[in-house]
Amino acid sequence: MSPSTPSPIAFPDVTLPESARRLRAEVRAFVDEERARGTVLGRPDSWLAGWDPGFSRRLAERGWVGMALPTEYGGAGRGFLERYVVIEELLAAGAPVSAHWVSDRQAGPSILRHGTEEQRRFFLPRIAAGQCFFSIGMSEKSSGSDLASVATRAERTSDGWRLTGTKMWTGGAHVNDYAIVLARTDDAEDKHSGLSQFIVDLRAPGVRVEPIRLMSGEHRFNAFHLEGVGVSDGMLLGQRGDGWKQVTGELAFERSGPERYLSTFPLLVSLLRELEQRSATVEQLTRVGILTARLHGIRRLSLGVAAALDAGSSPDTQAALVKDLGTRLEVTLVDTVRSVLPTPADPHATPGSHPELLAFALLHSPGYTLRGGTNEILRGIITRGLEQR
Amino acid sequence: MNSRTIDTGTPVIPADAYDTTAFYADPDAIAVVTNTTAADAVPLPAPNASTAELLTAAQEAGRRAVPAPFAETALVAGPLLRRAGLPVPDGPLSYAIAPELVIRYAHPAASPVGSAGCLGDDDTLLVTGTLRRVPWARAATAVVVLAGAPSGPVLFTLTPDQAVLTPGGNLAGEPRDDLHLAALEIPASQVRRISPELLAEARLRAALARSALIAGAAERCVHLTVAHTAARTQFGRPLSRFQAVKQEEARLIEEAALVRAAVQAAAAPLDTGGPAAHFAVAAAKAQASASAAEIARIAHQLHGAIGITLLSPLHLATTRLWSWRDEDGDETYWALRLARPLTATTLWPTLTTTP
Repeated sequence: MSPSTPSPIAFPDVTLPESARRLRAEVRAFVDEERARGTVLGRPDSWLAGWDPGFSRRLAERGWVGMALPTEYGGAGRGFLERYVVIEELLAAGAPVSAHWVSDRQAGPSILRHGTEEQRRFFLPRIAAGQCFFSIGMSEKSSGSDLASVATRAERTSDGWRLTGTKMWTGGAHVNDYAIVLARTDDAEDKHSGLSQFIVDLRAPGVRVEPIRLMSGEHRFNAFHLEGVGVSDGMLLGQRGDGWKQVTGELAFERSGPERYLSTFPLLVSLLRELEQRSATVEQLTRVGILTARLHGIRRLSLGVAAALDAGSSPDTQAALVKDLGTRLEVTLVDTVRSVLPTPADPHATPGSHPELLAFALLHSPGYTLRGGTNEILRGIITRGLEQR
Repeated sequence: MNSRTIDTGTPVIPADAYDTTAFYADPDAIAVVTNTTAADAVPLPAPNASTAELLTAAQEAGRRAVPAPFAETALVAGPLLRRAGLPVPDGPLSYAIAPELVIRYAHPAASPVGSAGCLGDDDTLLVTGTLRRVPWARAATAVVVLAGAPSGPVLFTLTPDQAVLTPGGNLAGEPRDDLHLAALEIPASQVRRISPELLAEARLRAALARSALIAGAAERCVHLTVAHTAARTQFGRPLSRFQAVKQEEARLIEEAALVRAAVQAAAAPLDTGGPAAHFAVAAAKAQASASAAEIARIAHQLHGAIGITLLSPLHLATTRLWSWRDEDGDETYWALRLARPLTATTLWPTLTTTP
C-alpha cells in the first residue's frame, strides 16, 4: 500500500473558529442561569429523556435551535461546528434538550434540503423558534435494522395521500407536533425504491399514539398508528420514491454527534463529585483517567466528522465508527462508575443523587448501542467502507 | 536477504544489523526506510518541521517498523537540546530521564552557598548510576540525559562510548541498552541547568513520540488484517465476508482510529505547553497504551496461524505494540496523572480546552 493512499482511519484535523470560543462561553453562562433556575439537572441521556419545551424556547430565543438554518428561514445561519459546540455543552451539562432534539438535528436540515419552498417557509421558522417539535417515524414492528422493509403504505387519493401502518419506537409522538414518516408509495423490485417521506400532523384524524413504556417505567416511545391518515400533496417531503436516498443521506449527521458519546457523561461528573468528598485512591483515579482519555479521543473523532460534514462531504463510514466507539463508551462508563465507587443503584433515591443517576443511566444503557443503527450493523458498514478504498 | 527493506515481510532482522547511521546520512533525500529505491519511500520532514508534521512522520516510522530511532531523535532528543541551548549533533540520538542518577559537581566551590559542597565553581558534573533500557543507545551519536543535580534539574549529553554498555532489547528486537556510568565527568560545556518545566516537557515529548509510533503500528495492523481477510478464502468465501470477522475487524479499525486521533489532538497543545499539553499527552499515551492489547489481539486472531510466524510481517507491528505500550509510561502511569488534577467542575472545561 502506497503511503500516498489516504489512510482509511485518518480523520480530518479540527480547528474551531474563534467565534466558537465566545459561543462556548455564552452557552456556559446560559447553562449557569438555567441551573440556578432549576431546569438543568445534570441528568444522563437528556436528549432522550429531558423534555422541557420552556427550556427549548429560551434556547431558541438565543438563536441556538436550528442555528445552522439560513437566516431567511429564521435560523441563525451559523456553521455546523458552532452548532456542535452548543449541543456538546448542553449534553455535558445534562440539560433538557429532548423536546427540540429531532427538529434541530434532523427535521430542520431535512426540510431545508428536500422540502418545497412552502414547507421551508412554514416549518423552519417555527423549528428555529422552538415552537414546532418533530418525531421520526421510521422503524416498524418488522423493520428495525432492515429499514427498507417498511410496510406502512401511502395510497394516492384525489387530493393527496392516505397513510396506513404502524410505526414503532417513535420517541415523543405523544407530545410532539409532527412526524416525518417513511412509507411505501410504489411497489418495486428493489425494496429500496418506491419509498417516500411525509410530514404528518400528529393531531390529525386517524393518528393514534399508544405508549410503549421503557423498563424504567418511563414513557418516551410509542407505537404510532396511522389509520388511513389523510396527508395533502404539500406534505410529501422530497421526491416520490426518493425516501431511501433521503433517509440514508442524513445518517452521518445522526450518528456522529456528541449525543453518541456524552449520554452518560453527567454520571462521570457525579462520580467525581462523590470522590471529592472522600480521598480518592490511586486505583479509582486511574480508572477515571482511562475513561477520560477515551472520551477525549472519541470527541476528537466526532469533531473530525463534524468538520467533514461542515466541508460538505458525507463521511458515512467514519460516522458509523464514531457511533460504535462512542456508544460502547457510554455503556462502559456506567459500568466503570459502578465499580469505581460501589453504590446500590436506586431509582427511588433522591432525584439527582448519585444512586438515582446511576440507576437511571443503567436502565437506559442497553439502548445506547441500539438507537441510531444497531452497532453490529454499523460494523458491517465500517468494514465495507474500508474494503472499497 | 535485503536487510534494509522492512515492508517485504522478510523474517526478523537482528537490530545490530540495522544501518542506523545511513538513516540520517542525507536528511533531504533519504527515505524513512534506508532503502531509497523503495517505491513507497517518503522524504523525511524538513529540519524546521512542525510538531504535527514530525508526529505524522513518526507515525509513518512506526507503521514501517523503521529500524532507527527516528521519533526519539526528531521529537525528543533534538528539540530538548535546542530548548536547553545545546547544539544538536548529526546522526541518531537517544534520551534518558534519570532522576535516580547520583550527581556531584566535579569542582566543588571553595565557599559553598547552601548545603556544604553542593555547588561547583563550574557546572562540570561527576555522574554515577545506570541509565536503564536506553532506546537505540548502541547506535546513537549522543544520549540526552535529564537528571537532578544539587542545584536542580540539569540536562547533559554523553556518548555511548563514555559508558559501559550492557546490550538489551525489547520484544521487537529494538535495542534497549543499559549504560553504566561510574563517576563519569561531564564537561560544563555539555551541561545545562534547566527549568522543572523542561523536565516535565521531556516526559511529555517522550510519551507523545511513543504514542505516534504506536498509532503507526496500529495502522499497520489494520492494513495487514484487511488485506489478509480479503485474500484468504475459507468455506468458499473470503474471511471478510463472515459476520463474525467483520465484527472484530471493525473494532480493530475503530481502536486504531482512536489512537491516531488522540495523537493528533496532542500536537498543538505540546507546542503551547502548560496544563493543556499535560492533559492531551497523558490522554494520548494512556489511550495508545490501553488500545495496544486489543489491536494486537484482533490482528492476530484474524490472521490465524500465519500471523504468529515469521512468514507474516504482522509480528513487526504487534511486538512493537506490546513493547511500546509500556515504554515512556504505560496507561496506568498516564491515566493517574491525567485524572489527578480533575474535579467535577474542571472535567468538562479540561476536555474542551482544545480544539
